[in-house]
Amino acid sequence: MRLPDTQVALLEAASATETKTVAQLADELGEDPAAVTRAAFELKEEGLLDVEEHVAEEVALTEEGDRYRDEGLPERRLYEAALEVGADERPAPIGRLVGAADLDGEAVDIALTNLARKGLGEIDDGAVLVDPDAGDDPEAEALSAVAEGSTGYLDSGVLDRLESRGLLERTETTVRSVTLSDDGVTVLMEGVEAAETVGQVTPELLTSGEWADVEFADYNVEADAGTVAGGREHILRRTANRVKDVLVGMGFREMEGPHADAEFWINDCLFMPQDHPARTHWDQFGLEVPPMESVPEDLLERVEDAHRNGVGEDGDGYHSPWTPEVAKQVDLRGHTTSLSMRHLSGFAAGELEPPQRYFSVEKVYRNDTLDPTHLLEFFQIEGWVMAEELSVRDLMGTFTEFYEQFGITDLEFKPHYNPYTEPSFELFGEHPETGELIEIGNSGIFREEVLSPLGVDGDVMAWGLALERLLMLMYGFEDIRDVHGTLCDLELLRNVEVVH
Amino acid sequence: MPVVDVDPDELRRLTGTERDDETLKSDLFALGLEFEGETDDGAFRLEFAPDRLDRLSVEGIARSLRYQYGTDRGVHVPDCTDAEWTIEVDDSVPDERPYVTGAVVRGLDLGEAELESVIQLQEKLHATMGRGRAKGAIGVHDLTMLKPAGPDKRVVYRGIDPEGDTFVPLDDDAERTPAAVLETHPVGETYGDLVAGLERYPAIYDDIGLFSFPPVINGRRTEVEAGSRDLLVEMTGTDQWTVDRMLAIVCYALDARGGQLEAVTVEYDDRELRRPDLSTTTKTVSHERIERTLGVDIAGEDVVDLLERSGLDAERSDGDDDDGADEPDLEAVPSHATRTAGTTEAETEADTGDEGDADDLAYDVEIPAYRVDVRHPADVVDDVGRAYGFNDLEPRYPDVSTVGGRNERSRLEDAARDALVGLGFEDLLNFHLTGETELFDRMGLSPDNDAVGAREPATITEPYSEAYTVVRTWALPSLLLVLENNTHRAYPQDLAEIGLVAGVDETEPTNVAEDRSVAGVVARTDASYEDAKGRLQAVARAFDARLETPPTDHPSFIDGRTAAVVLDGESVGVVGELHPRVLVDHDLEVPVAGFEFRLDGLR
Repeated sequence: MRLPDTQVALLEAASATETKTVAQLADELGEDPAAVTRAAFELKEEGLLDVEEHVAEEVALTEEGDRYRDEGLPERRLYEAALEVGADERPAPIGRLVGAADLDGEAVDIALTNLARKGLGEIDDGAVLVDPDAGDDPEAEALSAVAEGSTGYLDSGVLDRLESRGLLERTETTVRSVTLSDDGVTVLMEGVEAAETVGQVTPELLTSGEWADVEFADYNVEADAGTVAGGREHILRRTANRVKDVLVGMGFREMEGPHADAEFWINDCLFMPQDHPARTHWDQFGLEVPPMESVPEDLLERVEDAHRNGVGEDGDGYHSPWTPEVAKQVDLRGHTTSLSMRHLSGFAAGELEPPQRYFSVEKVYRNDTLDPTHLLEFFQIEGWVMAEELSVRDLMGTFTEFYEQFGITDLEFKPHYNPYTEPSFELFGEHPETGELIEIGNSGIFREEVLSPLGVDGDVMAWGLALERLLMLMYGFEDIRDVHGTLCDLELLRNVEVVH
Repeated sequence: MPVVDVDPDELRRLTGTERDDETLKSDLFALGLEFEGETDDGAFRLEFAPDRLDRLSVEGIARSLRYQYGTDRGVHVPDCTDAEWTIEVDDSVPDERPYVTGAVVRGLDLGEAELESVIQLQEKLHATMGRGRAKGAIGVHDLTMLKPAGPDKRVVYRGIDPEGDTFVPLDDDAERTPAAVLETHPVGETYGDLVAGLERYPAIYDDIGLFSFPPVINGRRTEVEAGSRDLLVEMTGTDQWTVDRMLAIVCYALDARGGQLEAVTVEYDDRELRRPDLSTTTKTVSHERIERTLGVDIAGEDVVDLLERSGLDAERSDGDDDDGADEPDLEAVPSHATRTAGTTEAETEADTGDEGDADDLAYDVEIPAYRVDVRHPADVVDDVGRAYGFNDLEPRYPDVSTVGGRNERSRLEDAARDALVGLGFEDLLNFHLTGETELFDRMGLSPDNDAVGAREPATITEPYSEAYTVVRTWALPSLLLVLENNTHRAYPQDLAEIGLVAGVDETEPTNVAEDRSVAGVVARTDASYEDAKGRLQAVARAFDARLETPPTDHPSFIDGRTAAVVLDGESVGVVGELHPRVLVDHDLEVPVAGFEFRLDGLR
């Protein structure tokens, strides 16, 4: 019979009459115990070997136990010190004994407690009187016995006590022992030989034709392999691209434009009064660069007029200061609606006639407090539709369609206020996992004060949403900083589940 | 968004309803007021968008609820008796704060709770419309403690030298000059900036002397207390409309508390105003606009009903025709089923009407003075929609066809990212904002070097934190930060990022040049120049770009192991082994090779 090396060696080392443990056999054969165990089970499968398992208890001293074995148990040391000073006849004060026994810290408490418990003496009024005939201490003896590995005859009560004092640890291990079965004896008598096994398929093996004559060593195919990290697209980028896919599918074209832009495009075109609270440096990032001069003059004038006087016969403007200097100041955009303004005005891509659909998924910057759900910069999904005529129902229909693609249904439209849209709605949807009602975006139909200066003929509806919010919904992340930015955790990025 | 604290019992009393807390909360939500929790005293904390500033007090919210419940309809203008008192505006008033307005309110019975509500309204108006008291500041005084001068009961708004007079401010017990208030009084710290630098400080006087130092603090003498019955409300600011409208909101609230409004004459050098101005404004709204925005057919009489339920008044606009008697009945101008296709109800109604008029139908809508949010007919349409119930509208997908697509830059970026990921790079996404220390000092680089990443960064004027003061000029420092923060994670760590980098550039329209940069690092025990270059070659090959790497030097890299990245003859970046100085500074114990180049080099 041909068997792999290890199996042959094990079969030959095993005995039909004497039970040997795997550890003993591994030692004898100079093999790895895991390999011997594996071979033992393989031989058992073949019926050549009997394998028995039993649970063995191992007892070992803890560090503290080991120390007491050397130095003596604290209570014994106290007892010895007390005997020395004759405290078997006359009580001696604890303070003095402790000094004599060289005990300090918690060892004092340990000594006193156990002294009393073991009946080595009595403590009364701060003094100790010991019993000279206390005799031997089984706990002290047990410490030495455990250290020497001869625990067999020890009283288990003593061991329990030492374990509860934290002086020894018990661990259970499975011990496997093997004996040769009758079939094994037969096979051995008939003779076994080791098959030549090969670890790796090599080019030489293949070209020489030797592969036909060898046996391939078994691998443990169930064991974990080494980790392969591989490269992955960032999870937030992946989510952004999924959003882009959906929007392109719905007929939207992608916008692009500058991150640093004139406040004109960021705020003034949006009919945000220049003294609006969101236009202070508490909310937006101004840049230390000269103002942007290339804002079209006529557009600038029309926007100023809308701010001052409103639009239409019955329109009122804001009663707020307005200067071109503020409009030309360059900021990091606080929303990508600046891109929508650049496109709607014809400045970015030429005059646009209805119908049009545009979107972007780009970064915006807000002077916010950093916390698990807020960053100084995040991605905003921005989209708008231009048509001859649009109603609130069209807006609702578009968003219902969009959010359904991400499993968010039963949208609720809460009437809201934005300076640039009327009517405006906060969008609420049901969390796909938890069922909670959560805010998922802000939307509305652009005001005439926004569209008229831009020269837009027709209705435009728009909405915005933080991509990170969608990501957290889809993946259940709790702290956005683990994902986005330099504090990111590579382990998390490497292991996050793919959602498609 | 503003938050107001409202006692639910008080709200029920003013609204005249017995509804329980949960019903109230849901009714408030329908108005756009979100329940954010309760205060320690059990008051509702309500948050709402900053348009309906008339809802900054329990009185205003109760008014809105009464309209919602149908208890009230149409416009209510509080009764206001003739003026007895005069506010004279003296020539000395600082140019920076020239406007004042005011009203007298009599016969109030203010308890602690009512007083608290008035103070809350005042503070909330300051924070919103008043722009932190800069644009408008309110002072409320106990009228009986004032001694006006002359038969026309004069108080005078004037400008005084900061050290020119003294008074005892609220929450204080010593005579102080306005200048001293700024230095010693807690409110001086908060609002001192509003007057700091003025040559003359605003002050209001009666016959006894200075009693108000707007916009900072009132005098103690005229302090309003529980039990005060008659009040003088004055407001100063930088814009007459703004202070008048803030006053209107306060007057409506005090009217709801049973106060009798009494006009005040405001006497400017060249004009005299009777205040408060509670006159309504009118906007003409076409029926067509309402149907177009809501996307439904709606009968004329329903529009009027909805507007009245919103606290507005509406009647059919008669255009040039002055004779109102000829107006056709609104019932005769119903919807004609053009929008809600297939609704039989609408069709039936349409048959009865005179359809010819529907296209020209418009409404003159009267708007009360507290509605500071209405500046265009669209705002009236929004009220109609809210009263109708937006959530009752049926969504529909707009019937317009467009062609979608990505732009070229975003497609190029994605293709390059795919190539990097295929080479085993972990794609990263880092902040564009960072600090100069990270960009330069820790990379051994100076903005003045002639090297990749060395340029004047776009700097934030008033940064939030020292860690985020500039837009990054290059992306490799971000990757090194990620390596630094992940030294406990398994190696190799091959990281890449394609993202924005920027720098000041006055040849650009925005004065900031923005580029997309491709950066990659290979961090492992045996990383070398070849690892970086090999991957770079693979990327260049994928985009059919000719790569050359002539030797160069860069302070962040090891001399002799650094090359310029030249794609199709143009130098677009750098590749090399990061300098040990840089690695050690980032607590790295493995060598790192890396590259960075402009994405448009692959075009």
